[in-house]
Amino acid sequence: MLRSHDNVQFTKQPYIEDNEPRRIESIKFSMFSASEIGKISEIDVFRGVYYDAQKKPIANGLLDPKMGPPNKSSGLCATCHAKYEDCPGHYGCLTLALPVFNIGYIGAILDVLKCICKSCSHILLPEKECKDSLKRIRNIKLDSLQKTELRKKIIKKLSSKQEVQCLRCGYLNGKVKKGKTALQIVHTRPKQDKNQEDSGPSPPSLINPHDALLLFNQMLDQDCELLYLNNRPEKLLITNISVPPLALRPSVFVDGGIQSNENDITERLKRIIQANACLSQGLQDPSNSFKVLDDWDYLQVEVAQYINSDVRVAVLQGQQPTKPLSGFVQRLKGKQGRFRGNLSGKRVEFTGRTVISPDPNLKITELGVPLLMASILTYPECVNRHNIEKLRQCVRNGPKKYPGAKFVVEPNGDKRDLSFSGRKRIADELKFGYIVHRHLEDGDVVLFNRQPSLHRMSIMCHRAKIMPWRTLRFNESVCNPYNADFDGDEMNMHVPQTEEARAEALLLMGVQNNLCTPKNGTILVASTQDFLTSSFLITRKDTFYDRATFSLMCSYMGDGMEIIDLPTPALVKPIELWTGKQLFNVLLRPNAQLRVFVNLMVKEKMYCKPEDRTTSCREETMCPSDGFVYFRNSELLSGQLGKTTLGNGNKVGLFSVLVRDYNAHAAAACMNRLAKLSARWIGNHGFSIGIDDVTPGKLLAEEKHSNIVEGYRDCDGLIKSFTEGKLALMPGCDAAQTLEAQITQKLNKIRETAGKVCMKELHWRNSPLIMSQCGSKGSPINISQMVACVGQQAVGGRRAPDGFIDRSLPHFPRNSKTPEAKGFVANSFYTGLTATEFFFHTMGGREGLVDTAVKTADTGYMSRRLMKCLEDLAVHYDMTVRNSNGTIVQFFYGDDGMDPGQMEGAEGFPLDFERLRFKVEATCPTGNHVKLSPTEISEIVNRRLLDYDMSTGGGCCGAFKLKLLEFFDKITKRKCYVSEQQLQVFLDACVSRLRLKRIEAGTAIGAIGAQSIGEPGTQMTLKTFHFAGVASMNVTLGVPRIKEIISASKKISTPIIMAKLEDDNNMKMAESVKGQIEKTLLGQVSKSIKLVMSSIRASVVVKLDMEKINSLRLCINAYTIKDKIESSLAKRKNDKLEVKVIDDVKLAIIPKAEKLEAHFVLHQLKNKLPTIVVKGINTIERAIIADEEGKKGKLNLIVEGTGLREVMGIPGVDGCKTDSNHIMELQQTLGIEAARSGIIREINKVMQSHSMDIDIRHMMLLADVMTFKGEVLAVTRVGIAKMKESILMLASFEKTADHLFNGSVNGREEKIEGVSECIIMGVPMQIGTGILNIRQRLALPELKYGPEPIIA
Amino acid sequence: MAPLLFEDIFNITRIDPDGKKFDKVSRIEAQSDKFDAFILLDVNIDVYRINKDKRYTIGLATTLDLDGGADSGFYNQTSRETLADRYEYVMHGRTYRITDIDYEGQEKGEIFVSFGGLLMMMRVDKSVSKNFQLDQRLFLLMKRTE
Repeated sequence: MLRSHDNVQFTKQPYIEDNEPRRIESIKFSMFSASEIGKISEIDVFRGVYYDAQKKPIANGLLDPKMGPPNKSSGLCATCHAKYEDCPGHYGCLTLALPVFNIGYIGAILDVLKCICKSCSHILLPEKECKDSLKRIRNIKLDSLQKTELRKKIIKKLSSKQEVQCLRCGYLNGKVKKGKTALQIVHTRPKQDKNQEDSGPSPPSLINPHDALLLFNQMLDQDCELLYLNNRPEKLLITNISVPPLALRPSVFVDGGIQSNENDITERLKRIIQANACLSQGLQDPSNSFKVLDDWDYLQVEVAQYINSDVRVAVLQGQQPTKPLSGFVQRLKGKQGRFRGNLSGKRVEFTGRTVISPDPNLKITELGVPLLMASILTYPECVNRHNIEKLRQCVRNGPKKYPGAKFVVEPNGDKRDLSFSGRKRIADELKFGYIVHRHLEDGDVVLFNRQPSLHRMSIMCHRAKIMPWRTLRFNESVCNPYNADFDGDEMNMHVPQTEEARAEALLLMGVQNNLCTPKNGTILVASTQDFLTSSFLITRKDTFYDRATFSLMCSYMGDGMEIIDLPTPALVKPIELWTGKQLFNVLLRPNAQLRVFVNLMVKEKMYCKPEDRTTSCREETMCPSDGFVYFRNSELLSGQLGKTTLGNGNKVGLFSVLVRDYNAHAAAACMNRLAKLSARWIGNHGFSIGIDDVTPGKLLAEEKHSNIVEGYRDCDGLIKSFTEGKLALMPGCDAAQTLEAQITQKLNKIRETAGKVCMKELHWRNSPLIMSQCGSKGSPINISQMVACVGQQAVGGRRAPDGFIDRSLPHFPRNSKTPEAKGFVANSFYTGLTATEFFFHTMGGREGLVDTAVKTADTGYMSRRLMKCLEDLAVHYDMTVRNSNGTIVQFFYGDDGMDPGQMEGAEGFPLDFERLRFKVEATCPTGNHVKLSPTEISEIVNRRLLDYDMSTGGGCCGAFKLKLLEFFDKITKRKCYVSEQQLQVFLDACVSRLRLKRIEAGTAIGAIGAQSIGEPGTQMTLKTFHFAGVASMNVTLGVPRIKEIISASKKISTPIIMAKLEDDNNMKMAESVKGQIEKTLLGQVSKSIKLVMSSIRASVVVKLDMEKINSLRLCINAYTIKDKIESSLAKRKNDKLEVKVIDDVKLAIIPKAEKLEAHFVLHQLKNKLPTIVVKGINTIERAIIADEEGKKGKLNLIVEGTGLREVMGIPGVDGCKTDSNHIMELQQTLGIEAARSGIIREINKVMQSHSMDIDIRHMMLLADVMTFKGEVLAVTRVGIAKMKESILMLASFEKTADHLFNGSVNGREEKIEGVSECIIMGVPMQIGTGILNIRQRLALPELKYGPEPIIA
Repeated sequence: MAPLLFEDIFNITRIDPDGKKFDKVSRIEAQSDKFDAFILLDVNIDVYRINKDKRYTIGLATTLDLDGGADSGFYNQTSRETLADRYEYVMHGRTYRITDIDYEGQEKGEIFVSFGGLLMMMRVDKSVSKNFQLDQRLFLLMKRTE
């Protein structure tokens, strides 16, 4: 029998563990002590030299080969005898003559010094308190955040006092502070002797590193624990430096090996060695103690800069202001630093990048890859009996000829390069199981991406199609998700290298599976530009085709490869003619075998409402301009197709309906056919724009002229009445504002009417008109700018500002307010702009450019913060949303567990009942079935609702059921009778669809939410909006407002409280409440404030304006004012005064001052009195009474300012319904739940004001993350640090070094759970498909009873 | 006899009531004598000119086969005489909506047909409209009557 140690070889080599795969479970951060550094180092480094004359590294120098070979050409490592590539590197040790502070730990050192006695090193707490605190900090339930909090409390307590006497040794401790430079610690001891009054405080003494080290050495272990130090505090100081291995700081030979270029770290170390040598020399010679101190300081600075070169130190002489050598902190931090640049984002192989171009002949899932690229990128394909012949050919072709291969890897790991001869033999020897790295071929899975990757559809999976030439090509329908155009954009392509990666990419990232955005469920991949134009023209009512043309066009859409059932012509006689709409019937359903029955009704742009028609027919489809699109069982019955039907960004269009009612494949196939048809059709038809398209007709020119003349006359009238002071003021505005508002309104009207005339007068064949009507490009405004009038140029939301004194340009008279002088461009781009008009136009144009440039940076940072905050949230199998350490953030995702990307209805509702009913009615005709009565309907519905799959447990929430019942109420009222069969089909469809719309477990819903909120930010332009109804009241909106909300600002730019009134149709009541709230100053309600001096006394007499007071319903009189004056002026102790009420309207304020001062005091008083608040809330500037939105006659108060609690307390205000847009105030007054709903509501408000539809679930998740800890946490570095535990994650966000240093002081343990940490460590994350673990059921060993067999 | 569901002589009251929007297609408004039917119909005036002063016979049939055999939907290669031979203008389409309405106190039915996008609305007495079915393939036959 072989004994286990028989195969052990007894050598002098140390035992090396075998390299089986292991998983890093956690990382513990700690500090190295001097002895530990000594233990790990191979060599002592004390010579600050590099190479000798023979270019050999000098022993004990900085490049000693014992630390590894310094570069590729310098032989083997002296420690492990490996080559440069293989040697992991070995540490050296550099002993310092005197200890120095570690700059990273200086804060921790300071904190410890604050808490200990500077004589006996005991903590400065009484014994009992010490024990209590120790008990608390030892509680294992505490997380690191709470421990840090406890530690902070102790430090704050001990550092608040000027002097503390040590209870053990009686030493009097003073305050410990940071000194002048970052590296000095100053101890200001209190006066030693209380009797010596004049001696002053004893001079502050510096605590030098040596003293600190001695103090720390004496510290008790339990005191360390109390201060949340995981280790001995002496490790905070540096006594010897661990010299990093050469692999970390390679030395490179330049100039053909004459000169060596040393790494920054090496050079820093050299300086340290020099400084150290200097210091130790000085120490030998005790005579020159000052020089020693200077040298010590110098060493200290050098060591600090070795760690962090940003450290600010006194500039030493002889230092050139050259590019500073970077320290370790610089290597780690920042965008290009180790964390963000190398660990979180890594460079990858199997990638390509080139210019993109469109190709409508490709399917939407395909990607045209240039042949050149395809013969460089490879995929390792395993040889099997199906592909062996193909791969043999590839191997024979070699790496240069397409389709070829680059390598062959045998199962034993041998790799054969195919760039040399012998390919034929290798091909012949190819066996099953070999892996051939072959060139990319048609159908290979590739990932395609365009930066900026703002949402998950910015990287999608396509099938490669190898094509000639040099660009990456794809179907234009896929432009939208990438936000790509073809003006020179470049895009990236990646080739996944394993079958697992391919499968995952195809299923999760495939274009087909990402047609709809998870932002709100609208379609994203849809027809654009030319496809819309040609569809629009094809489906025009008067396009007719004869048999030949129609058949040809039918063959366009499928390359003539599809089976097509030619429909009966719409016109049978006098000649057979097919309409363009029939072509669309063919496109949707080429043959009867295809069982796709689309049913939809859409109103296009040019839809004409029944009220506007002259005929008596009220039916929607009979729109005279053919604007009502009606598909019934895949037949286009009416309507000219435009963007609403075929384009992106809605849920009602053709492709959305195909995706929802059928599947993504049906929609994709339809898009493919449409792309091919459109491209070929428009190629034959021709579509271009010329000067005659923008030449206005005679009628148009006349109308425009009269329009402008009239507008100018109106403006002149307004200006005239303004100069005469007769202008009627608008509420809340002064005369100038009113004038501006009215003129702007007038001028906007000019362009508007010009635009309307344009749209009316232009011929229907006008290209810009067609494009604007079908929605492919341009708006009516663009057309009117080209044809009629460019219109008012705005800068900062106003008319052109004055760049010169009192005027915009020197071409105009001063203070001119005429349209021309303030940037109105009356010309069109066709007629050409005058010089001044052109200048104004550039002003407006520049603002737009600047705005976009500034905004991208802003929104980018916002997105990054959101992403870091939400990245690890995922839905789990119990439908809870949890973060990476398992904390529940939401108990039920979005309150209904639905996938936002699958929602069909408006406002994030899962289904669109109306459309579903319409579909059921069309696809399952009533026929001879009996129509149900309302009672029968409700009976059937209620019976169905009792089934299990309609219960909450079956995945059907209460809100859904309510909506369903509501819908049936509506249809019975409308008398839409349905048959029993239809009702059953409808209900079953509801249930089965709802089940499919549930969110899948593992979905990284946090990341999706962050993207959904971050991505629309880039599109937001305007910053402020007017408040509904009130012109002068602005609300911050757009990106600044979102930033305010998510960073939980304490001070927001426009706080507004919406106060509901108890009696909301009583104007008088409202006014009196307003008077209660608004800040009223004494100056505003007094007739006069006079100095009255008599022989006896001098006083200030205030006379109240009772008329005004009564008209404002303020309810104040002299007595209440007396109280106010007393309370506000008595705050300061010195002001002694007496307030006397003379009568109801008069007050006398008599200061009690010495005679000499009396005069000044009186005047002071007189100046101060008008600013005293006599009524209202201090923080509120004004309140406005306004009608409630959408409800006339219902009054409410819009209050500008903070002070929610006070406003709620005012009698007459309905406190239960009053709320504020200030999140932090909501939290303080109403609590965390109010803050949560406030966040949701406010973000929603901003998004809606920019007409951006974002699913409420995303905002709910964000609000929950911000509030789940019980306080509102901002999405900033401060807030995120409170949400997450992980050091690596925080380090990869911001303040990299601080988090790492603190982590090691506290001895934090990093469990690699979150997304960032997993990426950094290179392990799969616990999200999405990674949420699953395999647990293998091992077969139980079979136990045998009975004797063992004799013969085995 | 001919499988006509409806036939009547119409007087054209208006052409393009909402203004002319398309070059080749006009919407005509007509009123019949016998059934008092009101019709709105899109006609391709490019191939069949409509004269406002003339009267037109408009008929609706489910098949062009004179014997009333069901229409197959396929192109008929035989040169047999069909219903179409008796008219000048023939369109093929499908009913997509039939409603009962109360029009000026009378119970009427509205039939909507789309001939490949050319729409027709006929408001006629309920006794006539009940002959039509939803999603029925229809031929519209039209000729000028002196």
